[in-house]
Amino acid sequence: MSAIALYTGEMLDGAVITLELTAGATVVSLVAGAAGAVGRLYGPKALKTFVMAYVETIRGLPAILQLFILYFGLTQFGIDISAYWAAFVWLCLYGTGYAIEIFRAGLQGIPEGQHEATAALGLTRFEAMRRVIIPQAWVAMLPALTNFVVLELKNTTLLYFIGVQDIMFHARLGVSNSGQPLVVYGIAAGIYVVMNGTISRVGGLLEKRAAIAR
Amino acid sequence: MSNDVVVELEGVRKCFGPRVIFDDVSLSVHRSEVVAVIGPSGAGKSTLIRCINRLNTFERGVIRALGHEVYGTEEGKPALKRDELRELRTEIGMVFQTFNLFPHLTVMKNVMLAPQRVKGLSEAQATARALELLEMVGLSHRKDAHPRQLSGGEQQRVAICRALAMEPKVMLFDEPTSMLDPELVGDVLATIRRLALDGMTMILVTHEMMFAKEVANTVVVMADGRIAEMGPARQVLSAPKTERARSFLERVLPHTDGGGVTDVRTHPQDQGGPIAGPIDSIGGSALWSREADEEELL
Ligand SMILES: Nc1ncnc2c1ncn2[C@@H]1O[C@H](COP(=O)(O)OP(=O)(O)OP(=O)(O)O)[C@@H](O)[C@H]1O
Ligand SMILES: [Mg+2]
Repeated sequence: MSAIALYTGEMLDGAVITLELTAGATVVSLVAGAAGAVGRLYGPKALKTFVMAYVETIRGLPAILQLFILYFGLTQFGIDISAYWAAFVWLCLYGTGYAIEIFRAGLQGIPEGQHEATAALGLTRFEAMRRVIIPQAWVAMLPALTNFVVLELKNTTLLYFIGVQDIMFHARLGVSNSGQPLVVYGIAAGIYVVMNGTISRVGGLLEKRAAIAR
Repeated sequence: MSNDVVVELEGVRKCFGPRVIFDDVSLSVHRSEVVAVIGPSGAGKSTLIRCINRLNTFERGVIRALGHEVYGTEEGKPALKRDELRELRTEIGMVFQTFNLFPHLTVMKNVMLAPQRVKGLSEAQATARALELLEMVGLSHRKDAHPRQLSGGEQQRVAICRALAMEPKVMLFDEPTSMLDPELVGDVLATIRRLALDGMTMILVTHEMMFAKEVANTVVVMADGRIAEMGPARQVLSAPKTERARSFLERVLPHTDGGGVTDVRTHPQDQGGPIAGPIDSIGGSALWSREADEEELL
C-alpha cells in the first residue's frame, strides 16, 4: 500500500509539470492566437496566406507526428533541446494553431453591423476592437476557450513519448513496478479529472460572470 | 432657408463588382433641410446614404460634405486619408435599420462611448450629455438597461441618442422604423420629427410615405439605378411628374387613384397647422403635428 502512496506522490510531482506546461503553453497560445487571428482577418494578403497554411498544417498533421518531427528532427540538426523545452515549444505551436481558429471564429461571429456602428461613430479601428468587438467576441469564445485549455492539458500525455516526466510517465513507471495497473491508472485518471474539472469550473464561472455583465 | 449646402453629391456612380447600382446621382442638401429618399427595394437607397459617410466606397463622382471633399475610387483622384475619414464620420450621425447598439454595454455606455473615446469628453461630461439626450427621447429611466432588455422602438431611440451624442451636423437614417412593430413606429418618428423641428439636417431613407410628406422638404425617388424624380416633398408625393415615380408610388400606396398620395389631411400648409414657432424656421416647409394620426396607430 505504501508503494501506491509513493507512486501517487510521484504522479503528483508529474502533475506539477503537466500544469506548468499547460499553463505556459496556454498563455503563449492565446496571445499568439489572438495576433494570428487578427493577421488572418485584417492583415495583408501574404500574412493571411501564411496564417492559413500554418493552421492547416497544425490541424492536418497527427499531434504525435508533429511532436516527433520537432524533437527528433531538431536533434538531428544538432540542436540540443531538452525534452521539456521541446514539449513546451510543441504545445505552444499546436495550441496557437487552434487558438487562431477560435479567435477567428469569435471575431467573425460579431455582426458586420457592429463594425459599421463603430466606424460611423468615428472610432479608430483599435478602439473599436478594444471597446466593442473583442469584449463581445470574448464572451462568445469562452466555451471554446475552456475546451481549448482542457485539450492542451490532455495533449501533455503525448509528451510521455519523448520522456517528459509528467503524470503519464510516473503512472507507467508505477504500473510496471507495482503490477497494479487498475489502481495506478485509476489514481492518474483521478488527478486528470480533478485538474480538468477545475478548468471547466473556472470557465463556467467566467461564462456566468460574462452573462451577468452583459 | 439659408442657402449653404451641407452635403452635395455630383455624378456619383456606385458599383458592386461589375454591377452598377446607380449612376450619375447628383443631389444637394442644405442646412436644416430634410431629404427623404424613397424607392423600390434594391434601388440603392441604403447604398446611397452609406456612400456619404463612406461605409461604402463609390466609383465615380464626388461627394462634398461639411467641407470635406471625397472622390470616387477612380484613378488619378486623391484618396481619402484615414484621419479625414474619421473626422468626417464624427460629424455625420448614422442610424441603422437594425439599430446596431452595442449589446455588451448599457444604454448609458452606448451613448457615452464615442464622446469619450473619440471626442475625449470626461466621464462626467459624457454622462451629462447622455442623460440629456435620453431625457429628450423619454428613456432616461432605462439608462442602466442593456439593449436586449429594450423594445425595438426603445433601442432605435437609444441609437439616435448615440449618434446625436457626437453632435453631428448631419444625420443619416436608413429605414429607422422598418424593423419595428407598427405600434412602436410612432415614438421613433416623433423623435425624428423633433430633430427636424430643431433644425437638424437629415437624409432619411424611409417607406413611411406619410411621414416623408410631413417632415421632409425634399423627396428623392430612386429607381432603375438613378434618381427618377426629385423635388418638394408634397409635390413629388402628391403629383409626381415622371412615370417611374408615379408607378412606384402607386404600388406602395395602392389606395390612391393614380395621382400619387392623396392628401387626407385638412391643414393647408400655408396656414401653418397646429404647431407654432419652430416650424417656421424650417425652411418654411410644411411641418405640422401628426400626433392625432399616430394615436390611431397606437
Ligand atoms: N455589399 C454588397 N455587395 C454586393 N451587392 C450589394 C451589397 N450591398 C448591396 N448590394 C446590392 O446593391 C443593390 C442596392 O442595395 P441597397 O441595400 O442599397 O438597396 P435599397 O434601396 O436600400 O433596398 P431596400 O429598400 O430593400 O433596403 C441591391 O441589389 C443589393 O443586392
Ligand atoms: Mg436599404
